[in-house]
Amino acid sequence: MDIFIDVLGGMSALADPYVIAFMVGGFLIGTFFGAMPGLTSVLAIALLLPITYTIDVVPALVMCASIFMAGMYSGSITATTINIPGAPSSMMTAVEGNVLMKKGFGANALGHAALGSMIGGAIGAVLLMAFMPIAAEISLLIRTPGKFSLVLFALVVIVIVDKGNIAKGFVATLLGVMIATVGIDVLQPIPRFDFGTETLVEGIDIMPLVIGAFAISEVLMQSESWKNSLSSTLEKAKDLKIRRRDFLPPRSEIREIGLLAYLRSAFIGYGIGILPGAGGSMAAFVSYAMARSSSKKPQEYGNGSREGIAAAEAANNSMCGGAFVPMLMFGIPGDPTTAIVLGVLVINGLQPGPRLLENQAELLGPMLGSLFFSALVLIPLTLWLFGPWFIKIVSIPKGLLYTGIAVVALVGSYVATYSVFQMSLAVIFGVLAYFMRKQNYSTVSMLLGFILGPDLEEYLRRSLSLSDGNPIVFLTNLDSLFFLALTALFVWAILIRKPKRGLAEMRSDL
Amino acid sequence: MADRAPLLRTGVLLPFFFLIVTTVYLAAAFDIHSQFAGDGEMSPRSVPILTAILMYAALAVVFVAEFRKPTADGPARELLRPLLVIVATAGYIALFRPLGYWLATLAFTSALFAIFHFQLRKPHMFAIYAIGVTALFYGLFAGIFGVRLPTLTGGFF
Repeated sequence: MDIFIDVLGGMSALADPYVIAFMVGGFLIGTFFGAMPGLTSVLAIALLLPITYTIDVVPALVMCASIFMAGMYSGSITATTINIPGAPSSMMTAVEGNVLMKKGFGANALGHAALGSMIGGAIGAVLLMAFMPIAAEISLLIRTPGKFSLVLFALVVIVIVDKGNIAKGFVATLLGVMIATVGIDVLQPIPRFDFGTETLVEGIDIMPLVIGAFAISEVLMQSESWKNSLSSTLEKAKDLKIRRRDFLPPRSEIREIGLLAYLRSAFIGYGIGILPGAGGSMAAFVSYAMARSSSKKPQEYGNGSREGIAAAEAANNSMCGGAFVPMLMFGIPGDPTTAIVLGVLVINGLQPGPRLLENQAELLGPMLGSLFFSALVLIPLTLWLFGPWFIKIVSIPKGLLYTGIAVVALVGSYVATYSVFQMSLAVIFGVLAYFMRKQNYSTVSMLLGFILGPDLEEYLRRSLSLSDGNPIVFLTNLDSLFFLALTALFVWAILIRKPKRGLAEMRSDL
Repeated sequence: MADRAPLLRTGVLLPFFFLIVTTVYLAAAFDIHSQFAGDGEMSPRSVPILTAILMYAALAVVFVAEFRKPTADGPARELLRPLLVIVATAGYIALFRPLGYWLATLAFTSALFAIFHFQLRKPHMFAIYAIGVTALFYGLFAGIFGVRLPTLTGGFF
């Protein structure tokens, strides 16, 4: 309870105009990147990562949280208006929202998406704050072998979630682990893989990897298809007349969807957010599927269901809250955005874990508050203020946009350490990630392998050292056994068990 | 019988690159020596060796899948432009300190505009946008965040 009160107390930092400016600025950046097809909030946070070196940790974390929330919501904008989800998590919104758009209810669909995001995001943030102290207590019970099994569980789930590319996911994850081993050993003062150079003794920083994997590779991908394939669609959409008053969903429609539906979707999203590797797309899909199966009007699904939009958007925004739980408590990021936020924490010398919440509540409180405030206030406010111009905003020419991204990425990777070497590393990782993406190797798996690899190694070696090298310790330790059993359960559920017919059919329909 | 995919394609070349990297990595891992680890104990090289072995296994599965593919990679997409972007970026990094932020970024921005065919028919707009982008990010980094960027006059040093 004390921790909860400390976190609430820490939120007072949000009253500082300097912090508010970062929150609002982050939200607008996140909205733009989320709405723009091809850009994501992950890219936005990746580009801003170097800036976090030059500002305090509180505004940096506040900005990251608001970008995360905005990115999840704003994918629904182009999903509804031009049937191209700005973010993958808005796929289900595109299915329903664009039909409503074609029927002349585009503003109404955007309003429902914003309302769902607002409710889901706010509930997710509240659940995060409410359950964090409990999660912190639980995490204190986990001993070293259990921590190893937990990290192993996270890595296995991240790899197997992409069912069609398990071997490639495994390769990408191992590549990340290999990159992370460069530098001083995790337990002993011995340099590894420095190849006689001083710069590599220090190890490879997360920043060039993030910039390369998410920003430089995106510029290269876009240069491949440099002609703006969306330009004609956007040109047509520019003529759309969207009025502010139409954004407000009528009460009758909200009542029809029902409070319970919003709550259920928010809980689903939060729960899925806790799982490593699941992310907003899965949250939206599962919530949408559940809403459809329990709907009183299933015939509306696929024909412009407002209930479907609400379910998908409430879940993907609520996921934001859930994704922070494993990252803050165990240092295990559930998705790429929280992986980069973890980088921000580490850059500032903060180590995730239960002690972080106990000792640094004043730093985390504003970030959690930013999630809540962004969902509850900034989502509706942004829609109200900028809604009629959303299409014009996303019509920025590709040449201008990606040139800007390239400059920010490269100069950003320089300013973090004033090192041209970091810039070069970012480009090397960018080219590698470009070819990996072309061949369906997950760059997210590579990043998570890089982040979790040192923990995996440390816990494995510590556990074996404490048990005189006997690996049975992972089975005799109850918490470790629990996570190993959980890993087996997930392998069975995702890889071996056949999916229910309804869900499988729905997936194939998309 | 379906045609087998050609050997020299990205689907095979990329895992082959990973194979070389893993082999170099494994060789370097064997060079790591620790005075603190006893016989049978996990030393600083144990996990890298284990990782390399797992990587070989994963790559074997990838190779088998690639060679079993009945058709080659999808339609060949243009590689010239990504290559030009890489060259422009390498040039930018090389010139960033000697030329300073302003000149290097202006040249880099112009190169990328040309690669993306942005405003090529309107030279005055091309120039305005190039200067605008350079100035905008100078304002962001140096103005707002107070970062020291290299200058042509060597003020940085």
